[in-house]
Amino acid sequence: MLEVQNLTKKFKSGKGIFNITFSIKRGEVFGFLGPNGAGKSTTIRHIMGFMKPDTGYVKINELDTWKKQGEVKKYIGYLPGEIAFIEGMTGKSFLDFMTEMQGVKDLSKRNELIERLQFDVNTPIRKMSKGMKQKVGIVAAFMHDPEVIILDEPTSGLDPLMQKVFIEMVLEEKAKGKTFLMSSHSFPEIERTCDRAAIIKDGVVIAVKDIHELQSMQRKLFEVIFKNSSDANKFIHSNLQIESHEGNRVRVAIQGNYDQFIEETGKYPVQNIAIYTQSLEEVFMNYYDRSEASR
Amino acid sequence: MNFSLYKQMMKVNIKGMFNYAIGAAFYMILMVWVYPSIAKTAKPLNDMLKVMPAGMTRAFNMQSGFGSFETYISGEFYGLLFTLIVSIFCVMIPIQLIAKLVDQGSMAYLLTTPTTRGKVAFTQASVFLSGLILISAITTVCGIIGVHIFIDDSSSFHVNRFIQLNVAAFALFFALGGISFLISSLSNDEKKALGISGGIIFGFYSLDIIGKISEKVDWIKHFTIFTLYSPSEIVVGKADLTNDCAILFFIGIVAFVVSILAFRKRDLPL
Repeated sequence: MLEVQNLTKKFKSGKGIFNITFSIKRGEVFGFLGPNGAGKSTTIRHIMGFMKPDTGYVKINELDTWKKQGEVKKYIGYLPGEIAFIEGMTGKSFLDFMTEMQGVKDLSKRNELIERLQFDVNTPIRKMSKGMKQKVGIVAAFMHDPEVIILDEPTSGLDPLMQKVFIEMVLEEKAKGKTFLMSSHSFPEIERTCDRAAIIKDGVVIAVKDIHELQSMQRKLFEVIFKNSSDANKFIHSNLQIESHEGNRVRVAIQGNYDQFIEETGKYPVQNIAIYTQSLEEVFMNYYDRSEASR
Repeated sequence: MNFSLYKQMMKVNIKGMFNYAIGAAFYMILMVWVYPSIAKTAKPLNDMLKVMPAGMTRAFNMQSGFGSFETYISGEFYGLLFTLIVSIFCVMIPIQLIAKLVDQGSMAYLLTTPTTRGKVAFTQASVFLSGLILISAITTVCGIIGVHIFIDDSSSFHVNRFIQLNVAAFALFFALGGISFLISSLSNDEKKALGISGGIIFGFYSLDIIGKISEKVDWIKHFTIFTLYSPSEIVVGKADLTNDCAILFFIGIVAFVVSILAFRKRDLPL
């Protein structure tokens, strides 16, 4: 459905994207992950046909997104990373304008989306909060029922409740066979929606992984408080990776080896266990470090 | 041409366009209104012009004097104020129609829809042109109406010459707008585009004035398109109107076509 082949674009500064290749099947939700400045937005600009690749191509529905700029947009819904609207419009007049530009006649989907995201469309856009603008952007990306939806950091600015609603919306569309490309920093969002994800760094795709594989790469930190500090002293001599130890308080890093962790902690009376999940960023950092070390 | 976009862009810009049009028309009517009292003192004024350095009177397009209404309005209005007001319009609006949307990022939304960049650029150029036609039409009509209201002896008024004057002005602004539009469609930064476009257009204007003030640097006039617009000569029938206008329209058309082609091929930082 969406094919990125050997996409290369070099900027004068020497940065850019190099030989990006991946493809997304129909009905798949694909995550696009990487730190800031890694080349996510540049890749999305090529997918949207805003930039001309030096070499390689992007095809959606077998149509080259640079050469067939107009035609290919019929199949695409797009939420920009930084939303900018035309000045002097209200949410409603903007959506009306977009509906007209997209040539959509049926407004039922749009009304349903507005209902779901719960916002007042008659507010002037310049008076909207970031989250509200994001909602208008989401409606604009979904309302014409496109086959491929490209979302650049879709949940930024949304409160947790709306993030949940958004994830549900993505899953529903996915069930209808829609294809997604989604760049994100939020691991729960990627975890719950994506089938696969590409990791990009310094303009190069370093891995395209199944989401379950990524999950198992995720390292979790547990803070265990033992009833007796003598138990804590014994605990740190187990095979587990200990991050820090202070009195009866131990911080331990777990990556997949949950059984061992349960077994070791089960030997002693425990007062409290708290979990610190690693952010996606930290998962990457781990991944980079390891892939660089193995070179 | 994308009609939905045209409608929307006109809606956003119509107020600004009317401000320019009303400003120009108001000033025109004011000039017409005071003309009868100036006409009474035309002789001393003309004598005064004669003792002024020739370069000075040429620079401000007043060499035709105050003898008739057309010579008066060509010098006082078309030679100075109208040119300045509409030149500002020709710098501002084309920049707002492309470079600003690219700089802000809202261009992304226009290009997300099933339209092509060529169509977007063409539509934006049409919006500018509509504004320019609006300003020219309102000014011309107000001028003609004003003459009939305020000037008792309107039989001496040459409508033809007056319309020629407006056509020549339109041709000039079409070319200036084309240049500004070209810069706009090549720019990622609104402020920079505004600076470059303003610099070029008012640079042209200054060169024109310098070239006229001093005969020694007469050759400078070959480097500015304002040379192709000489209101004081049009009203006395001395200008090569067809030739000058043809060149100006040609410059404008080339600039607009190149703008649209360039915008189609360009990398956009959206």
